[in-house]
Amino acid sequence: MENSSMYIISVYSENQVGLLSSISNIFTRRGINIESLTVFPSEFPGIHHFTFRAITTERAAQQVVGFIEKKVEVVRAFCFPDNATSAAEHGILADYLKNRNQ
Amino acid sequence: MTGAEILLESLLAEGVDTVFGYPGGSIITVYDKMYSYADRLRHILVRHEQGAIHAAQGYARATGRPGVVIVTSGPGATNVITGVADAMVDSTPVIVIAGQVGNALLGTDAFQETDVVGMTGPIDKWTFQIRRPEDVATAVAKAFHIASTGRPGPVVLDFTRDAQVGIADFDYQPCRHIRSYALPAPADEAAIEAAAQLIDDAERPFVVFGQGVLLSHAEDQLKAFLKKGGIPAASTMLGLSALPSDFPYYVGMAGMHGNIAANLMTQKCDVLIAVGMRFDDRVTGNPSTYARQAKVIHIDVDRTEIGKIIPAEVGILGDAAEVLGRLTERIRFSFHDEWAASARRYECVEQEKVCVPETAPAGGPVNMGEVVARVSELSGRDAIIVTDVGQNQLMGARYSRFARTRSFISSGGLGTMGFGLPAAIGAKTGAPDRQVVLFVGDGGIQMTLQEFGTIMQEGTAVKVVLLNNNWLGNVRQWQELFYGARYSQTRLLNPDFSLIAQAFGIRYRCVEERAELEDALREMLDSPQAYLLDVHVREEGMVYPMVPGGRRMDEILLNKDEWYRDGE
Ligand SMILES: Cc1ncc(C[n+]2csc(CCOP(=O)(O)OP(=O)(O)O)c2C)c(N)n1
Repeated sequence: MENSSMYIISVYSENQVGLLSSISNIFTRRGINIESLTVFPSEFPGIHHFTFRAITTERAAQQVVGFIEKKVEVVRAFCFPDNATSAAEHGILADYLKNRNQ
Repeated sequence: MTGAEILLESLLAEGVDTVFGYPGGSIITVYDKMYSYADRLRHILVRHEQGAIHAAQGYARATGRPGVVIVTSGPGATNVITGVADAMVDSTPVIVIAGQVGNALLGTDAFQETDVVGMTGPIDKWTFQIRRPEDVATAVAKAFHIASTGRPGPVVLDFTRDAQVGIADFDYQPCRHIRSYALPAPADEAAIEAAAQLIDDAERPFVVFGQGVLLSHAEDQLKAFLKKGGIPAASTMLGLSALPSDFPYYVGMAGMHGNIAANLMTQKCDVLIAVGMRFDDRVTGNPSTYARQAKVIHIDVDRTEIGKIIPAEVGILGDAAEVLGRLTERIRFSFHDEWAASARRYECVEQEKVCVPETAPAGGPVNMGEVVARVSELSGRDAIIVTDVGQNQLMGARYSRFARTRSFISSGGLGTMGFGLPAAIGAKTGAPDRQVVLFVGDGGIQMTLQEFGTIMQEGTAVKVVLLNNNWLGNVRQWQELFYGARYSQTRLLNPDFSLIAQAFGIRYRCVEERAELEDALREMLDSPQAYLLDVHVREEGMVYPMVPGGRRMDEILLNKDEWYRDGE
């Protein structure tokens, strides 16, 4: 068995009714408890930033990210261990949105 | 124009000419407007909303175009849920338009209000609640785009009364771009290169392909790839008919009740190339023992499938047709004659131990496999074969032979009993020039039996072969093998199906003896109308070979007491 530890799953998405519940369902279905959750507008116009903290394995966290990204409104999702921080994700997202908006 | 009319105009703009549905209070305005569209939009009135969605699935699978369903709110919407889940796991493009109460009543437990967005969100590809008439056209456009691109799937539009009756301008723009929804990009060059290298270096390469080949219209690319690489290939159940059954490199179906060659070669190959398939446990058995000796190349359009169950040495994210085309250019011409020919040895064993006793028994009651094999012969391998779930499905998959693509329709991932009859109606509606034959059990037919009413009213000429064993056969088989023959709740006392057929005005014949079978099948196939052929098959029939659940794919039961032993 892989070890469980705290992961942060960070989601950038269009803000649409019902989306939060279908994202949290992706955790629920795998029996993963959400420890904390924040939602706020991101610095990108129209895009909201959700962060979930949950205790799980690396593999499960990656899978959750994949399934979250499959939601049509989700622009990008990332996961990283709670002790790391990712400045990179902002850069990735900025590039992505620049390309998609063209 | 009202939102209801915008909906209908938008469907026409997407090229829809047929919808499956059932009216009710929260969708009545749409039905009212539909009255004036009867010359352009055919509405098939089903008898239960589950029938509508399975019919739409059958339509989509037969035609490759999205199936469209229109139902009312509340129970109308909840009745389609099974089909939405089924379409999701089997990647079938369907668009469900469900009526919803007025905006002011949302969340008040109003009559026939139910939380459609909350219920369908986890089991569909996209759900959207339309609350304003000016959003109808864009919602429909997005729905078609999302349902039919990437990995296809079901989309649900929750259409409130305000949006139906309100007025807006109609201006239809097909959707080509959604900021947060990326279409499959060309596959990664380095991954293609790495895969080509593995394939060139392989001594015993093997392909297992799934429905992704059909969904991406990659049949020709697959053939070219197999020919150039000299690579034998097996199909999953949902991939059936993507290759003709007599294609030289084709070794049959993989999985729990698949062909011995397909499963053994999976366990012996050195490079396994998985194309548009998702390693369901009905295909892998115990995944930790699946093809452990092989390097795995996994080609799929859905990123979450790659590495989900079976770790991939090389994952290629992309559309099957594009990836196979590029791989074919890269790989060397190769021959693996001895390896490819090893399939014949396994086929001989399977013929002798399983297929001949099943399809050409010396005497006794008619066998299911025998009926399927005769249908395949007599229809010139040209029919669309639809199945329900259970032994009828496994036999339908095992003993049908195919000459044309898109000729096998079955509920794979969800395994929904009751799928068959309505799916056959949908398939025949979408492909009226093709013979459509359904294999169904006496259990499953009673789950959606009411759809004989749809057949009667629409004159849909589906040929229903009822493989009647007076048991829930597939469960009975498990009880016999693994639960000490304790037949708990699997015996069925059936109605008189001749009276049922008569009540619905459908031609009927019953076959009890082998001697009558061929004549009855000919009569059924030649009939220009719907037909119910009630074949009384061996009651204790079993589907073999079988890899019992959770085993390794080379642990194969040939019959109740005999395991396959390699090298004999
Ligand atoms: C809706 C639903 N309920 C239950 C099952 C479980 N199940 C799988 S096969 C089967 C028996 C099917 O019996 P029948 O329709 O007579 O077909 P047979 O196996 O005899 O061909 C059952 C109950 C299912 N797949 N779907």
